[in-house]
Formats: sequence, structure tokens, C-alpha cells
Amino acid sequence: MAEGQQPQDPAAQVSEAQIAVHWREEENYPPPAAFVAQANANDRAIFERFTEDKFPDCFKEYADLLEWDRPWHTTLDTSNAPFWKWFVGGRLNACYNCVDRHAAANPGKTAIIFVPEPESDEHVHISYAELLRQVNEFAALLRDFLGVTAGDRVTLHMPMVPELAVTMLACARLGVIHSQVFGGFSGTACGHRIADSGSRFLITMDGYYRAGQLADHKVKADEAVAAGREEGQEVDKVLVWRRHPGQYASATPMAGGRDYFVDEIIGKYAGQVVEPVSMPAEAPLFLMYTSGTTGRPKGCQHSTGGYLAYVTGTSKYYQDIHAGDVYWCMADIGWITGHSYIVYGPLALGTTTVIYEGVPNYPDGGRPWRVAEQLGVKIFHTSPTAIRMLRKVGPEEPKKYSYHFKHMTTVGEPIEPEVWRWYHSEVGKGEAAIVDTWWQTENGGFLCSTLPALQPMKPGSCGPGVLGVYPVIYDEDGNDVPKGSGTAGNICIRNPWPGIFQTIWGQPERFVDTYYRKYNRDPDSKDWRDWPYFAGDGAVQAADGYFRILGRVDDVINVAGHRLGTKEIESAALTVPEVAEAAAVPVIDDIRGRVVEIYVSLKPGFEPGKQMEDKVSKAIETEIGKIARPKNVWIVPDMPKTRSGKIMRRVIAAVSNFADVGDVTTLANPEVVDDIRHHVQSAKVASDDVPRQLTEAEFEEIKKYGGD
Amino acid sequence: MTQQYLAGELSVLLSHVQAVTTSEAARCAAWSLRQAAENEPVQALRGVTVRALALTEGLCWDSLSHGDTAAFTRQAAVCAELHEFGICAGLLKEG
Repeated sequence: MAEGQQPQDPAAQVSEAQIAVHWREEENYPPPAAFVAQANANDRAIFERFTEDKFPDCFKEYADLLEWDRPWHTTLDTSNAPFWKWFVGGRLNACYNCVDRHAAANPGKTAIIFVPEPESDEHVHISYAELLRQVNEFAALLRDFLGVTAGDRVTLHMPMVPELAVTMLACARLGVIHSQVFGGFSGTACGHRIADSGSRFLITMDGYYRAGQLADHKVKADEAVAAGREEGQEVDKVLVWRRHPGQYASATPMAGGRDYFVDEIIGKYAGQVVEPVSMPAEAPLFLMYTSGTTGRPKGCQHSTGGYLAYVTGTSKYYQDIHAGDVYWCMADIGWITGHSYIVYGPLALGTTTVIYEGVPNYPDGGRPWRVAEQLGVKIFHTSPTAIRMLRKVGPEEPKKYSYHFKHMTTVGEPIEPEVWRWYHSEVGKGEAAIVDTWWQTENGGFLCSTLPALQPMKPGSCGPGVLGVYPVIYDEDGNDVPKGSGTAGNICIRNPWPGIFQTIWGQPERFVDTYYRKYNRDPDSKDWRDWPYFAGDGAVQAADGYFRILGRVDDVINVAGHRLGTKEIESAALTVPEVAEAAAVPVIDDIRGRVVEIYVSLKPGFEPGKQMEDKVSKAIETEIGKIARPKNVWIVPDMPKTRSGKIMRRVIAAVSNFADVGDVTTLANPEVVDDIRHHVQSAKVASDDVPRQLTEAEFEEIKKYGGD
Repeated sequence: MTQQYLAGELSVLLSHVQAVTTSEAARCAAWSLRQAAENEPVQALRGVTVRALALTEGLCWDSLSHGDTAAFTRQAAVCAELHEFGICAGLLKEG
């Protein structure tokens, strides 16, 4: 230490990235030579084809993987920015591209292998010809029995069975917009999504296997219909696939005139052929709901041409899917990963995709590896959560089975380097290239990853931007955060890409506000360069250009340059057993920028006091670190809430900052605001802790705090 | 990040919690947690998991105090499942 230099706060000696994830930079792993030799992208010339000067026409390479009924005349239309339109003038059908063309070229080739959860049940191999027959018949049923046409929405609430893929593809064949809700979600959640999408039809299943039980699923359909009705949306018909045709797995009665078993009516459409409807490239293909901070889920609307081109291209180059591969993505089709990388991407490439019904560790941790061995899986794709779980229940299991993966993917969240290494050496047996990926429901496909034969793997990092996607990290003021600086910021994408969602269904203003407003340079601009996409994730970029994702940046409190997630702080407070609810808010501080104050309410029977405040403070310090220690812990009898139960953080943030709380008359409990204000502000006045007058910008920040 | 699946898995586990509740109040609490898992942003899942565990532990203690071993066994299994998921999903810390 130099003479006269003050000892540094230990927290200041490490980068924000290290604070956030407690990892250091890892070494690189080159891809195996055998993998490189066979890879779809093993020539560095591919990077030249996707440089920024060739944008947006570089994506013709992806679109050319599809068959178009009519070619497009404009690759990217930015005239209504940021509502981008890709491949304008082009027409195609997604189902045709995923099924018909492969059924014609190679009818006997297996399209889908269904692996039922009961291990005694046979695997079901569905050829492309058979898939085409099933899709045609179900499309005929949709068209003639439900009367749906292009542009109508149909909600699906189905488990992981091949009938789900058949249903999605049948909708796509007709130009009908499908909205699949994760099968494990409650009927009420499904009902909210039915109402939001204005869907008059629900397609479900009577039951499915999960962890050894045949779960009753149809019961949720009744809840969904009721929840939709409460929000003003009637469901006219419910189609019920049966897990075992002819046998009903649910205790719930069928509603006469509303509910119909598919296996009882599909016979009428046997052998029918439905011509695929030629759709404009920009026609919506599906809605995929994702949660938002306002509590109202967002229906992400994905296009036909741009989306399909993007997932096909990224499946080819990043998943390295060849037509002869058996490919297994262990995600659920109810999420975007399943849509893009179980159904649309792999089938568009004419490969064999595996659909597994149940939980991966049933009946034991060796199940995935037995399936891989039995089916000859070459490409394996799963999440860090599943990897951690499989490592925990059976670290030695993979070596008992003689499968050989050439490629593995991990997706969804940062993976710890030690877990990555187990995945690489034990699951992949050191033979597979691994791609880590970063993207979101809104994005359609990967945004950051490594081209597996051309870019080395680095545990814990998702890689650089993918082909044709130019990520950047901005600070709060829109300045570039340089790579290698060790400083975290908001990861954004400077350019549109074909897989980007088109809008939030029915909420175009929310779409612009949430994803584009923050860094928009000119709201009237038609130039895509003025509309960086704000992903809402924090990230840091290493000197080699690889990104490390740190987590969501919604409601971050920036304390002395350290970005603290409020949800993390609140979760830490909730580890105190006596705490019922917690809300963290920022308080303007001239020295540290912002400091954290936390409001908690206690469970019945517990008394507030200094001891309790210390307990909450200590829990936060233990869980996150000293940097997150709140300046004040306020124990209040109740939180101000909306009628739907959401805590109004902006109101308590205003109280803490002595700012105007705004209109509180619409709250479910407006009376608590005065109580809290009196309690907090009188204590602050007594301790000479009154913050200075806020600037206009600070006031705006507080006013918007906790919103979407 | 494409972490929506965590909300889904947590929702499924909360349906298991709902199934082993022994009082109307606990059923409502589990239902409300499930709604939070399905509708709140993924950053809220940690808090939901912690509260779900606390609820389930409470159910276990309640069953023990009543000598209801059958209920306790079911509840403890759900509690363990929830805990394992929380650890593997990075929503809880080990130890």
C-alpha cells in the first residue's frame, strides 16, 4: 500500500460482476476437433457475412433456410419504429416449413420421439408423414368444428405430449395464433391469459404423468373458463385431448355443449388435407406470456417469417442441428425455449426432436442418460437448474450409460463454473461442445452465445453477441460501458433482429415504454440506430468480448456504484421468520447516491422493536453483503397496496424521501399512507435525517419507482 | 433471461403445498403464493420460495403437534421437494 493511502473497503476491490455472482474470470475451453470437423459453422468466413455493414440483409441467410410462397421485397421495414417488420412482402406457412416439405422429401424420417414418463411405456416414434397426417386432421377439426380462421387466437394449456406440437402446428397451418400456457400453471393463470388474448377456445388434456402420478389436468380447464369469464371473456368450446384415448383421466365432468374429447370427434376428419394458409411474413404466429412488474402478464407477439427464420438459423449454427441428428431439449414447450428449440427450429431443419413428458429425475437421476442412450441423442439442451439437480441426485450417473453427445446447451441463467465443469466432463464426457446462451421470451432466439466450432467456451459467460446481433452495455445515462472495464451496466441490443417480438399483445405503449423508451434518442426517428433494445438485464463484458449476465435490473438501487436488486434485498428480509412482507426503496443520499431503506410488516403475534429491526438488517447483510445494509428498517402495520395486492413501492419511496406521494385514493388501504408517513417522517425529523429537496429528475425517479 | 420456467416449476410445487394444507387459512396462503409465482416477475420468486417453505414448515409443526403423522409425512415430502428445488434453482442458499 502506498504511503498515506487509505485502506480500501474490501467490497471496492472487486468488480461489480464478482460481487454479483462471486465468480472470477474462467479459462477458455476449445471445442473438440471431432465436433469442429462436422459443424455447420466451422469456417470463420461466416463472421464476415454478418458484420454490421451487411445488416439487415445478412439475415437473408437464415430466411433462405425456409421455403417461401412469395419472396420478400424489404428485408427490414423501420417505418413504424420500433415496431419492426421483417421480410415484408414475403409469404410463407410455418407448418409447411416444419412438416410438409420434410414429409415430401423424407416421409419415413422420425420427426418426434415421445418419451412417456412411465418407463415401462414404449417410446412413440412419429414420422414426418405421420405428423403431417395428424396435423392435417386436427387443422380440419379446428377449421370446421371450431370455425377458426387466420388471426383468431386459441389458448392451449397442455402438458409435454406430442399432441401439443400437433396442435401448435395445426394452428400455424391455418394462420391461427396459438397461445400455449405452461401446463403446470393453475387454471386461473390460464384464464387471465385467455382473457388478455381474447381467445374463445381452449385446448387442453385430461391428465399427464408427473413424478409417477397421472395428474388431473382437465380440472384446470373449468377454473380457466371461470377466470376468463370474470374478466369478460367467454370460452365457447374446450377441446380435451385424452392421455389414453377412450379413457378419461379426470374426475371433473365434461360440460355439455362446451367440452369435447378430441378422440371422439377427430375421426370425422380422418384423411382430410388442409392446404397451408400462405401468411404474410409479419403475421403473428403465436403469443407467449411472460410476467411483468405490474402483475399483468405480457403477451409477447411473435411473427411468422422473422421468428421462424431466426430460430431456424440459430438452430442450425448454434445448436449445430443436422437433419440426421436426434436432438433433445429438456425444456417445456410451454416456454419460449420449447417453442423455439423443441418445435419450430428443429422441425424446420427436418431433424428428430425428443419430447419428454415428465420430471427428469423420475424415477431416478439416471433417467435422462438412459433416454439419451436408448435414443442415440447427439444434442442435449437443458437449464442450469436441471443440471444442478441432476448433479445433486446422481453425480456418477452419466458414466453408467454409453451415450455420446456432440453438443450441449445450457440456457436460462448464469451457470456456476463448477457446475459447468461437471456438465462438461461428466455429462458431456469431455466430448461435447457446450454453448451457454442468453436471451429472453421477448427475443425469439439466442442473443448471446458462442458459435460452438469457432469460439471457445468459457464457464459462466454466455459469450459474445450472436451473428447479426450487436449487444452493448450502457450505463444509466446511455454511455457505453467499455469492455474489460469490470463495470456492470444494462445490456442492450443496438439493432433489431428477425426473432424480436413484434409488440405486447394489446399494449403497444407498454411495449415501447418497457423495451425502447429508456435509451431512445429520438421518438420520431425511423432509424433503427436510435432505438436500442433495453433487455432489462445487468451484465459485464470481459476484455475478450464475452458477456456475463448478472440478473434483472428492474428496480435496482445504485449504492455507491453498486447495483443492488431490490427483490434480492426484500427476499433477504423475508428470510426472517417473523417478517410477512418487505419492500426496499431508494433514498437520495448526497454521498452514496442512493441508500436502501426497507419497510417490513410482521406476521400476527410479533412485536416491532429495535431487536427486530436489527434482525432484518443482519439478514440482509448476511445474504447480500454489507453494501446492502439498509440505512433504516421501518416496521409498519401494513403496506400500501393496490386492490390486486401489489405493494405500492413508489408511495413508500416518496415517504422516505419526503416527496409527494401522489394520488393514493385508488389504493385498497389508503389510510395506512398517513400512518406510515407520520411514523417515518417524524422519526427522521427527530434524528435530523431529513433528505434535501429532490431535483426534478430525482423526483421523477421516485415517482416511477416500482413501476414497469 | 429465459427464467420463466422457474415460475412454472414453483407454481407446480405450490400446487403440491396446496394439496397438503390442513386448514382454510393455509390453503388461502398457498393459493396466494401460487398466484404470486405465476404473475410476479422472476426476481420475486426467491421471496415466494422462502415464504412457501415457511408455510410448509408451519404445516409440518402443526401436524406434529396434533400427532397427525400421515399429514406430517406428506407435508415433509413437499417441504423437502420445495427446498431441493429452491437450492437447485438458486432461489435459496444451501446450509
